[in-house]
Amino acid sequence: MVHLSEETLSELLEGESVTGAKEHLASCPVCRGELEALRRLRSELRELPELDAPPELWSRIEARLPVGGRARGTRRGWRSQIAMQVAALAAVFVLGLGLGRMFAPGDQAGPGSQLVSERAAATSLADAMAEVRRLGAQYDAALRNLEQLAAQEGAPTPSLAEQRLASLDALVEASRTALSVEPADPVLNSYLFAALEERAAVLRQMRVQQGSGSEVLWR
Amino acid sequence: MVDLTEATLVRRARAGELEAMRELYERHASRVYTVVRRLAGDNDLAADLAQDAWASAFQKIREFRGEAAFGTWVHRIAVNTALTQLRQAARRRNLEQGFDGSSTQGNPDRWPASGAAERVTIQRALDLLPDGYRSVLWLHDVEGYTHEEIGARLGIAVGTSKSQLAKARARLRALVTESRAEVVDHGAS
Ligand SMILES: [Zn+2]
Repeated sequence: MVHLSEETLSELLEGESVTGAKEHLASCPVCRGELEALRRLRSELRELPELDAPPELWSRIEARLPVGGRARGTRRGWRSQIAMQVAALAAVFVLGLGLGRMFAPGDQAGPGSQLVSERAAATSLADAMAEVRRLGAQYDAALRNLEQLAAQEGAPTPSLAEQRLASLDALVEASRTALSVEPADPVLNSYLFAALEERAAVLRQMRVQQGSGSEVLWR
Repeated sequence: MVDLTEATLVRRARAGELEAMRELYERHASRVYTVVRRLAGDNDLAADLAQDAWASAFQKIREFRGEAAFGTWVHRIAVNTALTQLRQAARRRNLEQGFDGSSTQGNPDRWPASGAAERVTIQRALDLLPDGYRSVLWLHDVEGYTHEEIGARLGIAVGTSKSQLAKARARLRALVTESRAEVVDHGAS
């Protein structure tokens, strides 16, 4: 006897009627059991308890609030603040590029400090954003190099993952600070999201590696 | 039902009063954290999502007109924040298994590497689902979203949402059954 498919069981759980399903259920204890199990699981999901937010969460939120009178330090004009944040982002990207270059033979290493001072000089918002995009693309390219090399030569050491984590932490922080000035900026938002995800991915991989000695560190 | 105290708090928060924001946060922190934690499947990511959701809510609190309760409004922002970031993460990961979960393989990173006989509670099983499955399952079965709404939020077809839900339920069932039978073989598909 062919049992009901997972799609059909799912539809039955919704209360939809599926041709022939009623007859099958009436004669098949296995499928009746499956349907009952799915129903139970759905109830269990709905009964999962509400969770307490982590205690330190408020202080993290508070740091990003648009508080009256601009209590978050002197407001020196959002353009100059953006430029400062771009400089901070750039420093992070330079660190990423440095990592990439360590693994990319033939790629001539440029002194990172020079790049950082260049970014700090970026004054107009348009210039600043163009630089963020350019550096972001370079950072991605460097990471791709790193991944390729890891595939060819085995994984980098865990300390590299830690360095990457530290650089991502800094990127997250810089993006959040910049977002507190320009909360709706799509570029800054996408950098924040990207950095958060990369950070989560690196953490997961570090955990996997610690747990099993698996060699997969870079995807 | 009008909650005057909460309306007052919202008005004060709109004026930039930190204490009012804190009070609104305290009232709804659990609700917001819970939904992003369920969608995220991970504590660290959930904390980041909750932070972003609350910051976003207070930044655009002027847009809150009081048509719904504040809790409902901030809850919606939390869901949107989580879905947006999970989708961007999936796009960025560019894995074979996209956010729509077109592959039935789980996200390998979410599976414990060791075969230790761990009791998979329903909460843990939920965390072990691929992001796309977990989102559709939670939004539909717990938050009460329709497939049309889920499709619109996630940028997937209604039919995809339905088949994702069926797969998510089946996977959850398998995970829980596996553990209850004390047979834990996370490598099997
Ligand atoms: Zn059957």
